[in-house]
This record gives sequence, structure tokens and C-alpha cells, in this order.
Amino acid sequence: MTPEAAQLISQTNFTPLDWGIVAAYLLCSVAVGLVARKLIVSMADYVSAGRAVGTALGVATMTGTELGLITVMYSAQKGFSGGFAAFHIALAAFITTFLVGASGFIVYRLRAMEVLTIPEYYERRFGRRTRILGGIMLAFGGILNMGLFLQVGSKFIVGISGLSDVGGALPAVMTCLLVLVLVYTVLGGMISVVITDYIQFVVLSFSLLLVTGIAIMKLGWENIFATILAEMGEKGFNPLVSEGAFGTDYVIWMFFLGLVACGVWPTAIARALSVDSPATVKKQYMWSSVSFLIRFLIPYFWGICAFVFLVTKAPDLHRLFFPTAEGSEAMDNLYAMPVFLGQILPAGLIGLVTAGMIAAFMSTHDSYLLCWSSVITQDVVSPLMGNKLSAPARINLTRILIVVIGIYILYWGLVYKGSDDIWDYMAVTGAIYFTGAFAVLVGGLYWKRASSTGAILALLSGFIALCGLSPVQSLLGVEWSSAKVGLITVGCSLLMMVLGSLAFPDRREEGTQ
Amino acid sequence: MLLWKIVFILGLIVFAVMAVWVTIAGARDIKRLFARIEQSHKK
Repeated sequence: MTPEAAQLISQTNFTPLDWGIVAAYLLCSVAVGLVARKLIVSMADYVSAGRAVGTALGVATMTGTELGLITVMYSAQKGFSGGFAAFHIALAAFITTFLVGASGFIVYRLRAMEVLTIPEYYERRFGRRTRILGGIMLAFGGILNMGLFLQVGSKFIVGISGLSDVGGALPAVMTCLLVLVLVYTVLGGMISVVITDYIQFVVLSFSLLLVTGIAIMKLGWENIFATILAEMGEKGFNPLVSEGAFGTDYVIWMFFLGLVACGVWPTAIARALSVDSPATVKKQYMWSSVSFLIRFLIPYFWGICAFVFLVTKAPDLHRLFFPTAEGSEAMDNLYAMPVFLGQILPAGLIGLVTAGMIAAFMSTHDSYLLCWSSVITQDVVSPLMGNKLSAPARINLTRILIVVIGIYILYWGLVYKGSDDIWDYMAVTGAIYFTGAFAVLVGGLYWKRASSTGAILALLSGFIALCGLSPVQSLLGVEWSSAKVGLITVGCSLLMMVLGSLAFPDRREEGTQ
Repeated sequence: MLLWKIVFILGLIVFAVMAVWVTIAGARDIKRLFARIEQSHKK
């Protein structure tokens, strides 16, 4: 970032009062972690909050996890570059989550089986080998998936607070946030996670609504739509326009992502497995479908508003993000939304919004760190050791893994140089796990002839998704859209599940269901 | 354009209602969660 650019984006309304609000919130979060620590006795307490979460708290914690700062950032980026056409992703998420809730597809049966994790289900249905491989695939895809969370979340803090003209601000913010999130995730486990998710839900949901209202008042409701129409044309509204940012295959891919994000993605499933009954799971999903809609819709709108703000009210910033001079590099568009918020929100409210966003950042991180580390402990290490690990040893190992994964995301956030949009990066890395998991779960739960060989082949097919990452494509010398790679991976996983099961059926004594 | 306006406004209204409900009922659920965990530890 050039000094001029850093100086331009550092002009915000953020004041010491706002830092005070942020600090007070963070202290409260750490205190919750310390209090919740006293309630943990068993691994079920640590990983699933004793399976005692009610519907409203279930909705709050599901929203708290899925509406993270990373979600706000990558969605704003999509809205900024794709306009209102990006709304189709939110609509797809809403429809699929509601249908999963109404039908109980996958989640009802999983909760009824009282498993702690998806790989635990793999073992019951397909045997230990499948559980261990499933755990490895899940942890690999999941940890790679969260690799950029810390960097992107820190860009929000840097952008909104105007720290961009301070040298080394980004790595310093990344380190501080990481230390904070590690401390209370290690201390509290799932009980502190659901409580902080609840606090985050309250702070963030009202902040989201308030900021949206202010953005509309500042820019004008009709002006927002008119500017997008003037600048982007039809492709700013219709996602099926082929020359736009999306296209038909992308829309189909988004509907599939909507389905797996709520029905297969382990952090969402962890919420389903934490509630007090299978019937609550269905209610939790139907209510959460609104959150799944809003978690995309409002940030897309903020990204769109940031674009309109640059076009209509901030020509200097517009030149920074859309340079016309040859050879000049465009500013990272992830900064557009936080810079926009920093310039339109009054002091005090910025602090509240930033605290809400840091809360969102922390609640996503704690859930993801807890999820991947408990998968490695419960589904890889413990089965490999013949399930001889004691409960305290499992909790300690999980805590150590949380710290190790935390260090990795700090490293990955500093070194990864891919050019993908953050959402597309996440879709592709997540696909390493969820394409195979979708085939294995659907096959295992709804098809009696599904076999362990089919399950293993389906899981391994997930590696095809790596071809969707820009550094891998550069190595291979090809250029494929992430949507095409994702859909091909889904097709291969399902095909492998069917062919593997038909060609190599399990012997009767090996079947466990 | 009209579709996205409707989706956005309806989404905001439903979310606002849900936020109020979850805020109130969620606090009650936290109390129950603590009670149930303490009860299970005593057993």
C-alpha cells in the first residue's frame, strides 16, 4: 500500500471513545470464558455444551457462528464487485436452509443418533477407517478454509479504525486478535462459545440493522439502485448474465453451497448436535434460515453502498480502487466496506459496530478452532490410539491443537498470495471436505447399499477441488472457474460413492447399522 | 430490481422480529442451560 493510499483510507471517524467501547467488550468476553470454565467436566460439556441448548439459544449460536466478520467481509467484497446480482447467494442460502429445517434432511437423523461429530457417524455406519480418513479430510479442508480468516478480519479493523497509516498495523492486529480468541476458546470450550455467540447475536443484529438504516439515509434508497444500474447495467442485478461476475454454473454452485453450508458443514452441524432434541433441530434450522439470508444480504448491501459511496461522494477513494492510469495497482477491494463505514458512521457508533464485528470475528474463530481441534482429537488421534484417551487428556489435547491451528492461521494469513475472491477461496477449500462428506452422509443415511469403500473413494474425490485455487491453477497452467471445479468435484464424489458401493459392497458383519 | 428490493425489505423485517425474539428467549435458554448442566453434574 502506498503512503498516499494509506493516508487516504486512514481518514475515519474512529475516536479514543470507540477504542474504549471495543476494549470494554473484549474484557467482558474473556470474563465469560473464565466463568464458563468452571462448568466443564466432560468432553460433551466441552464440545456440545452438554447437549442442553434450547431453540432460541440454538438460533443465536448458529447465527453467531455463521455470521462472522469474515462473512461480512467476503460478502461485502461480492456486493462491491457484483452489485445486487450477488443477492442470489443469500436467497439460495435461505431457501436451502429452510428446506433442510422443514424436511430434517441429514440433520434430523444425525441428531437422533446422538453423535458428537460427523466422523463419529462415519465410524458407526462405515467403520473406523472411514472415520479416520473423514476426520483427516475434514480437518485439512476446514483448517485450509479458515486460513485467511485472521487476515481478512484484521483488514476490517485496520480499515475502519484508520490504522492503515501505522507501519506494521495488519500483522500487529492479527496477532492481538489471535491471542485474544485463543485465550478464551482454550479456557471455555463450547459453553463459553454459546454464551459469547448469544452476546454477539444481540450486539451484532441490532448494529447491522442500525448501520443499514444510516447507509440508506446517507446515500438515498433510489440513488443506490440508480447508481448500480448506471455503473453496472443489467449484470448488476441479474446473476445469470454470462458477461457478469456470476453466470448459470455459479448460481447452481451457490445453491449446492447453501445446502452443504447448513446440512454438512461441521460448525453448523455442531450446533444441530448441541440442541436438546431432534425436533428442536428442525425448528432451529427453519428460524436460522432467516439468519442465513441476512448474514449475506446485509453485507452485500454494505458492499454495494461502499461502491455507490465511492462513485457519488468520494472521487479520491474511487481513483484508489479503480485506477485509470496504466500500471497503477488497484487498492484491495476488501478495504472498501470498512473505509466506507469509517466515513459515514458517527463516533461512538463506530466503536459499537467494531465491537460487534470483533465479537463476530471471535465467535467464528472460537467455533471453528474448537470444531477442527475436537475433530482431530475425537476422530483421528483417539481412534488411532484405540479410544484409550481419558476425558482430561482429550480436553488437553484439544486445547493444544487450538493453539497450533491458531499459529497456522497467523502464518497462512501472512504468506498466502492467491488472487481469488475470499468467498471463492472459501468455497473451493471447503469443497475438499464437503463434496465427499455430502456423498457419504446422503449415501450412509438414505441408501442401504452404501459401502465403506464407496465412502472412502467419495471422500478422496474431494481433493479434486484443490484445482479451483488460483495458485494450483497457475502451477497447472490452466484457468477454470471455481464453480465448474466445485460442481465437477460434487459429481465425482457422488459417482465414486455409487460405483464404489456397487463394486465393493460391505460384508454383512462389517455393517454396523 | 424489484425482486431484490422485496427480498431485502422482507428480509430486514423478519430479521428484526427474530432478533427481538432471540434476545429475550435466548437469555431464558442460558439460565436453563446452566441449570441443566449443574443438575447433570450432581447426578
